[in-house]
Amino acid sequence: MLRTIVASILVVLIGWGAASRITCDFQIWTEEGARRLQVALHPVDLPPVFIEGPNLTQTTLPALLSQENSVTIASFIYTRCQAVCLSLGSIFQQMQTALLSNTGNAQTANVRLLSISFDREHDDLPALQTYADNLSAQPELWHVVRVSQTEQEQLLLRKLGVVVIPNGQGDYEHNAALLVFDSAGRMVRIFDIEEHQLALNYALHLAGKHVADTSS
Amino acid sequence: MNRQMQAGAGLGLLVLLAIPDIRHAMEESMWRHMLVQFPLWTGAAFLLAGGIPAYLRKTIARWNMYGISGLFVTGIIFAVLMIPRVLDQALLHPEIELAKLIALVLAGMALRLSWRPAGLILQFFFLGNMLPMMGVVGWLYTESPQRLCNAYLLDDQIQLGNWLIAAVAIIAVIWLTWIAWFITCQETRQISRH
Repeated sequence: MLRTIVASILVVLIGWGAASRITCDFQIWTEEGARRLQVALHPVDLPPVFIEGPNLTQTTLPALLSQENSVTIASFIYTRCQAVCLSLGSIFQQMQTALLSNTGNAQTANVRLLSISFDREHDDLPALQTYADNLSAQPELWHVVRVSQTEQEQLLLRKLGVVVIPNGQGDYEHNAALLVFDSAGRMVRIFDIEEHQLALNYALHLAGKHVADTSS
Repeated sequence: MNRQMQAGAGLGLLVLLAIPDIRHAMEESMWRHMLVQFPLWTGAAFLLAGGIPAYLRKTIARWNMYGISGLFVTGIIFAVLMIPRVLDQALLHPEIELAKLIALVLAGMALRLSWRPAGLILQFFFLGNMLPMMGVVGWLYTESPQRLCNAYLLDDQIQLGNWLIAAVAIIAVIWLTWIAWFITCQETRQISRH
């Protein structure tokens, strides 16, 4: 019986160890949770992928993000999307309104919005323009872009941990979220769509910290 | 079917299941991943364990009185494999996939070596833990407004949840039927002896 007890305790300990590794010490249960935790601990550098979009000369994504020392809240979309991207669009509109309503503030001036399309096939420049117009995106504050080359697009999605799966009806499901990039163009945080206020506050805080840094 | 034939069938099934195309076909959807692949691998290993030679079975049994440690192995493996992240990780990393499949084989073999020695009371205790756990996981998968696996669609997740709950009901009914049959048989035997 003693052997059985020892064996059972060993089994429990091994199982506990495995579960604790998989869940990062029981903090997360999903791959998405692990990705967000990982990003918060270790900011992710971006590959220099070329992007294009209306009101934008061709440039690389890191270059765009580090422009004017701004903090960027970005999200992946496709313009035909009728589900989650619609609410993303309206959340971006709300954030734009919030940013515009106090332009006098140095902090707000330093936060930008960015929508990146992952559907290169359908989202050409006119489609992106229509999308931006429909949401009345202000070009100086909110860019709508796509990656110029397919391979680079895949690289970017992989690097940022964005998983896109076709649902068989011509639409896509993807782990939509709000990605916050610091002024060096690194992804520093991922927020849930529901946490958009928190994402905005966090971005403002980052921008504020940055402004404080340069003024001192 | 004698033990050798069972072991042969189990081995054959495992080889078949390991073929990459078949593996990928099962992992294409979330509900097939958990409710077809998991039971098939476990079941094949259950059959395979029938072929373990008697002396080895005796040695293992010394560490596995009343099947307690074996049921711990099976129970804990299933509990860990039901963490949603495992499904995503298995798709992303071949080494995790391999570990998952080995774990499923171990779970099946441990179940075979422990189920009978456990007897009715420990079996009841085991199922009494496993089935509610499966039910709760199924309920979570059905009710979660968010996708818990990045690689799978939300509809797929809801389907898995529903099927998990159905599986709980089916397993419970089968086990209770078996108990009823077992006890009836025992009583008939006792009556005929008198």
